[in-house]
Amino acid sequence: MYRMAANRFLHHASLVKNSGGSSLLRFPILRTVITSSWFSTYADPQTFPNQTLHPSDSSTSSSSPTTAGDDPRQRRKNPRAEYEEEQDHVLQASLRHVIRFGWSEETMIAGAKEVGVSPSIVGSFPRKEAALVEFFMDDCLQRLIDRIDSGEELRQLIPSQRISKLVRIRLEMQAPYISKWPQALSFQAHPLNVPTSFKQRAMLVDEIWHAAGDEASDIDWYVKRTFLGGIYSATEIYMLTDRSPEFRDTWLFLDDRVKDAFDLKKTLQEATYLAEAVGAGMGSSLQGFVGKVFQR
Amino acid sequence: MAFRLVTRNLRNRISFKLRSASLLHSHATSFGFKEVREEDKSQMVGKVFSNVASNYDLMNDFMSAGLHRLWKDRLVSKLSPFPGMKHLDVAGGTGDVAFRILESINSIRHRALQDTINDDLREETRIYVCDINQNMLNVGKNRALERGLGEDKSLVWVQGDAETLSFEDNSMDGYSIAFGIRNVTHIEKALTEAYRVLKRGGRFLCLELSHVEIPVFKELYDLYSFSVIPRLGEAVAGDRESYQYLVESIRRFPPQERFASMIVDAGFHKVEYENLVGGVVAIHSGLKI
Repeated sequence: MYRMAANRFLHHASLVKNSGGSSLLRFPILRTVITSSWFSTYADPQTFPNQTLHPSDSSTSSSSPTTAGDDPRQRRKNPRAEYEEEQDHVLQASLRHVIRFGWSEETMIAGAKEVGVSPSIVGSFPRKEAALVEFFMDDCLQRLIDRIDSGEELRQLIPSQRISKLVRIRLEMQAPYISKWPQALSFQAHPLNVPTSFKQRAMLVDEIWHAAGDEASDIDWYVKRTFLGGIYSATEIYMLTDRSPEFRDTWLFLDDRVKDAFDLKKTLQEATYLAEAVGAGMGSSLQGFVGKVFQR
Repeated sequence: MAFRLVTRNLRNRISFKLRSASLLHSHATSFGFKEVREEDKSQMVGKVFSNVASNYDLMNDFMSAGLHRLWKDRLVSKLSPFPGMKHLDVAGGTGDVAFRILESINSIRHRALQDTINDDLREETRIYVCDINQNMLNVGKNRALERGLGEDKSLVWVQGDAETLSFEDNSMDGYSIAFGIRNVTHIEKALTEAYRVLKRGGRFLCLELSHVEIPVFKELYDLYSFSVIPRLGEAVAGDRESYQYLVESIRRFPPQERFASMIVDAGFHKVEYENLVGGVVAIHSGLKI
């Protein structure tokens, strides 16, 4: 169930990142998104042929005879799909230039030239450089899902090891870009881009837990994902300064953190009991003290 | 009573037919609030701009309280110019947008990050400034000289009509038209031409005065437009008529959504618009795929 939901989110995420609007989740059928600030109102009127805007304006109906007869939904999907396809092509080609130019406009211009499209298209990507980073994150997530689906090796491992392995697989995808990764992280941390990057990481963490065989649905669900999010981010940052061959130190770090987290679960339970006991003891003495104060 | 009903129906039907006939009859167009023959419109517009050419920039500053500079900055930043770009600025007579694009490409920010390959590319940049009115182009050329861009071979001044451009198909990376499309007789033709000259992946950007819908602000804006601007035109440029035309042509121009659908009809993808100052100005953009 989570897998299907994740896939649906993934599909929507790729639509969302292309729309330039500020809403996080949109279904393909829903059209206009309007965000307004005091001096700037921004709307995405892509599906105009289907709106009856000015029915009394008969003089202009003659100028668009072709749109009246077309199937509205088909016409709506096709132009949009074309644009997104083109955007994906350009971004995919741009990834090859990231090592040289970093996550910047120049990389995307080089990518566009490679595909054979005018580099002006880069101007139309919402939040330009962030679009490239987000595309990469989505791409990695998709590859991880494919790897999980095809991989048999996870079956033999216990949950903590499974998680370790999955995080390792995912971080290895970033290894080729590691020299420019701090720049990507800075883009993800930018306030405008935080909603999308947060959502992508949430999806990633959810996917990993699901693959590790998690069935929880209570408060544990949030706790687990928060933990894993923390472990993942810590390892990611550790990897930035790791010079050991094939990032051996990073994987050791990761294993330690995962072990700590699983141990921490038990420690937390014990800590809760301790807190309860202390609270009970303190509570009674506090009650006595307050009573005395008010008696006066 | 029946007789009155019948005559009323008949009258309505006839007047409806007449009205619809005049709407479908394409030989008349609007010049501000006046109806004029199509052949005459471009001439009349030509006269307006010959009159205003010399004071054009000054009047722009007065009427928009200097805001037009910010609007044009926003237009150019949306365009994201790059070295080696071939850009066409239509109705850009006095060169405002063209200068900004050139300066953006040559800016320190861009140059600092590039390697030597891009220096050669910058040589290939071409900004074509196209205007139907030679007076406006002359003013533009003089301003280029003043800014030290007189020798720059990136700037090319061309006289031409937005409805029949003299450029080849698929030759431009970008097309912009700032405060010009309102004056074109057949907007659809200008849009089709724009689509024709753009390369695949090329962007269309249009900066234009548009419609305000915010309740109180709308009334204030109307008051400002119809009372202050023609008088300002008279005082500063000595030409009340031209500025009356200007203000009326803004009202006749299609509203944002309608214009966006016209751009979609011309074949563009990802058509969007951004309102500035509550709708006084709108930047429409489209992409050719």
